Amino acid sequence: MIIDPREAPTPTIAGDVVSPDGTGSAGAPLRQSNLWRDAWRRYIRNRAALAAGVVFILMLLFVIVWPIISPYDPNEIDFSARSQPPSLEHPFGTDTFGRDLMTRAAVGGRVSIGIGFAATIAILLIGVTYGSISGFVGGRLDNGMMRVLDALYGLPYLPFAIIVTQIFGNVTFWTMVVALSIVSWFTTARIVRGQVITLKENDYIRAARAVGARWHRVLGRHVLPNTLGVLIIAIFLELPGVILGEAILSFIGLGISPPDASWGQMANEGRAAYRTSPHIIAVPSIMIATLILSANFIADGLRDALDPRTRET
Amino acid sequence: MALLDVTDLRTHFFTREGTVRAVDGVSFSVEKGKTLGIVGESGCGKSVTALSIMGLIPKPPAKIVSGSVLYDGRDLTTLSERQLEDVRAREIAMIFQDPMTSLNPTLTIGTQITETIRRHYDVSQKQANKKAIELLEKVRIPRAPERLSDYPHRFSGGMRQRVMIAIALSCDPKLLIADEPTTALDVTVQASVLDLLDDLRHEYDMSMIIITHDMGVVAEAADDIVVMYAGQVVEHASTLELFDNPEHPYTEALLGALPQLEGANVRQGRLTAIPGRPPDLINPPEACRFGPRCRYAGSDDCTVNEPQLREIRRGHWVRSAHPASERSGSRVPEQVG
Amino acid sequence: MTKLIIRRLIWTIPVILLVIFMTFILMRQIAGNPFRTSERAIPVEIQRNLERKFGLDKPWYEQYWQYVQNVATFDLGPSLVLRNRDVNDIVKEHFKVSLELGALSFLFAFFFGVLIGALSGLRANSWVDYTAMFVSNVGYALPSFLVATLLIYFFALQWDVGLPTSGWDTWQSKILPVIALGLAPMAAFARLVRGTMLETLQQDYIRTARAKGLRWRRVVGLHVLRNSMIPVITAAGPTLGFLITGSFVIEQIFAIPGIGRYYVTAVTARDYSVVMGLTVLLAIIVILANMVVDILYGFLDPRTRDART
Repeated sequence: MIIDPREAPTPTIAGDVVSPDGTGSAGAPLRQSNLWRDAWRRYIRNRAALAAGVVFILMLLFVIVWPIISPYDPNEIDFSARSQPPSLEHPFGTDTFGRDLMTRAAVGGRVSIGIGFAATIAILLIGVTYGSISGFVGGRLDNGMMRVLDALYGLPYLPFAIIVTQIFGNVTFWTMVVALSIVSWFTTARIVRGQVITLKENDYIRAARAVGARWHRVLGRHVLPNTLGVLIIAIFLELPGVILGEAILSFIGLGISPPDASWGQMANEGRAAYRTSPHIIAVPSIMIATLILSANFIADGLRDALDPRTRET
Repeated sequence: MALLDVTDLRTHFFTREGTVRAVDGVSFSVEKGKTLGIVGESGCGKSVTALSIMGLIPKPPAKIVSGSVLYDGRDLTTLSERQLEDVRAREIAMIFQDPMTSLNPTLTIGTQITETIRRHYDVSQKQANKKAIELLEKVRIPRAPERLSDYPHRFSGGMRQRVMIAIALSCDPKLLIADEPTTALDVTVQASVLDLLDDLRHEYDMSMIIITHDMGVVAEAADDIVVMYAGQVVEHASTLELFDNPEHPYTEALLGALPQLEGANVRQGRLTAIPGRPPDLINPPEACRFGPRCRYAGSDDCTVNEPQLREIRRGHWVRSAHPASERSGSRVPEQVG
Repeated sequence: MTKLIIRRLIWTIPVILLVIFMTFILMRQIAGNPFRTSERAIPVEIQRNLERKFGLDKPWYEQYWQYVQNVATFDLGPSLVLRNRDVNDIVKEHFKVSLELGALSFLFAFFFGVLIGALSGLRANSWVDYTAMFVSNVGYALPSFLVATLLIYFFALQWDVGLPTSGWDTWQSKILPVIALGLAPMAAFARLVRGTMLETLQQDYIRTARAKGLRWRRVVGLHVLRNSMIPVITAAGPTLGFLITGSFVIEQIFAIPGIGRYYVTAVTARDYSVVMGLTVLLAIIVILANMVVDILYGFLDPRTRDART
């Protein structure tokens, strides 16, 4: 949604120069630098981003693995065990129907994260296509496409998402994906277009074209690899937004129909009982918050790692 | 008494990778009404020296660890930020290298000039405007009164640099520090800016420090020259003396690298470059810092101990174990100036 | 300058038309109409009469054109489901509330966000910075309904500080909802401002400003702030739009009589006029917010004034 903070760069004093024979300053041997490896190294040095990455992967593992090995059925109702706070048997407690929350959280996570990834990929596909065509072709087509985009920006997010979900009658997994991606791709398109335009003006692109390289080669070999970094960051920026969107829609009752769970759905169910059993609404909310938090830190870390200009003091 | 006296200045940058000793024992002085040129390649510490004088180094990573900067009897390194703010522009002014980014794009140049004036003098906006117009005319910007309300993006590079000069002169400073003032400009514009600086300097009876890597610029503009390498002063002499009788191997190489239109090397067709790279300033060598690149360094003292700056002739200082006049087979040069 | 403003104003018209069009088309895609999906089974003839009365039997382009004309005269039509109520009435009663909620949340988010961000940026890497950014990161990640629930849980249930958790009448009742809605945008602003300030502080012209001997207060207050705020203003527009139009969840939790709950029920009941009317209105708000931002941008950044749009 919004640009993120950067650390103050340190001034670079002569010292990291590579001379033609491969030796560095004052004769010391220098390692060959690889852009991706450098980025990886920089990323790992950022402790917050590293921790976030670990948390993110752990969450993915949780939602994938736990439903398989859990002794409980997420939809099994057991009124004798309802609204229990977290215990050894039910580490996250149970909800008002007696269903194990940990299993439901994992199953719900599959849905929420699944929608998140699917919608994010859809957003990227639409956004990249729109943005790169607009940026690459330029001229009046670009102008026109940007005007349309400006108009689309005028659509209020939530109301439109609501309307789109209603078009299909039942709200299902894919309905959500479509609805959320339709209203969220604009920013990505704009970013991609900006990137493409910057790269287009870049001298080495001009050089490639001057030598007569075909446009698809220019696009594939020169433009896209540079945009890759921006895209990876975009994934982790869009993901939280989509997950939040799904959560909100489910929370106001327009989400996936029960008994299928998503985190937003679970939060909705827990709403009534928050006074007596706050854990019912707390569990899915904290899951959402954790995912969003880690995605944000990952995005920050990636941004710092992939942009060679920013460094930590 | 010199106007500015820098003694053993050391400015270090404390970074995660280590302490960068950007300025490591620099001393020189500037006389009233004279111009000092500081030359050296990128990264040798000349800009950091200038910023240290003004107290403009970025304080978190950088720090003046030792040394003194005496101006008008006061040591600037001991002043508080507030006190330094009074000195800047009013006593010592500075212009920077890149005119395209040195002006605030969201304020008119009129504002940027008058705010300086009104900061140091108690005058009304109207009076400040009037002074600003005078200054713009002095730096030869046409249609000055109309241009006052223009934004920087309406000016070309050369004109922006003139505006910077106008700002620098607005409070009648006694010393002007020009950090690579012409590097970012075309050659023809360079000449006019240098001329302008020269005229103004005489008119305002100002001293000047001009920092550059261009030997041609410094030959024209400076009375005395300091040659810096790897954070240290390696040679210091008057301009004529330096160009006629360079002592330090580095200086010789710099002069040898100048393209010649006539003379012995013309037919060679190649520019002599200096092989190698400057040392890493996080761990500078204990020995002579120029050693690895020096033609004359053998297996003698300069590979172990750092040569000290010594006065080889009156007014001519050099930091080398192999100055030109001490090499075997060289005649003793005639003192110039 | 005025040319810029006029040009932007003129451009909003086709945008609004496009929005109405898109809403219209989308609504028509939703299967069913209000008279066939209601709980009470309505005989077919009466259905047809009702359809004719509300013009639903005409071809879509006629309906669309009719609607546009209506909008131009501020007639948003009658509600199709709630008898005897016009969309305009609903709007008048409830839209004010949502507008106020959105605006207050925006002011809260903007004011505190910029403040925190600026402090963080000026004291980068200090404990002030780390704490502020930590809080901001967490605040940004928490879904608004979680924040709302937490606030209610603590401020109303655990500690009785006299802050009501429902309704929208006294000023006390507005505090919790505004915080709940505005916390995430506040965090976003704080992060953004910190970033832009750090970037601006690195710029050459700030070094020039200091070299002129200007007092640090002025350097920050004028030079740094003015340049830093440009991207922030750009982000502020959509944020304001989002806050006004996306407060449905908060309205539900705090029982605030805004348009949020009307919107949801109207969509499920296929009440075309209410949905259309509210959506169009919301869209106009968003477009206006964006337009104001664009104009402000022109004021702040003189370079864009000369560039051709």
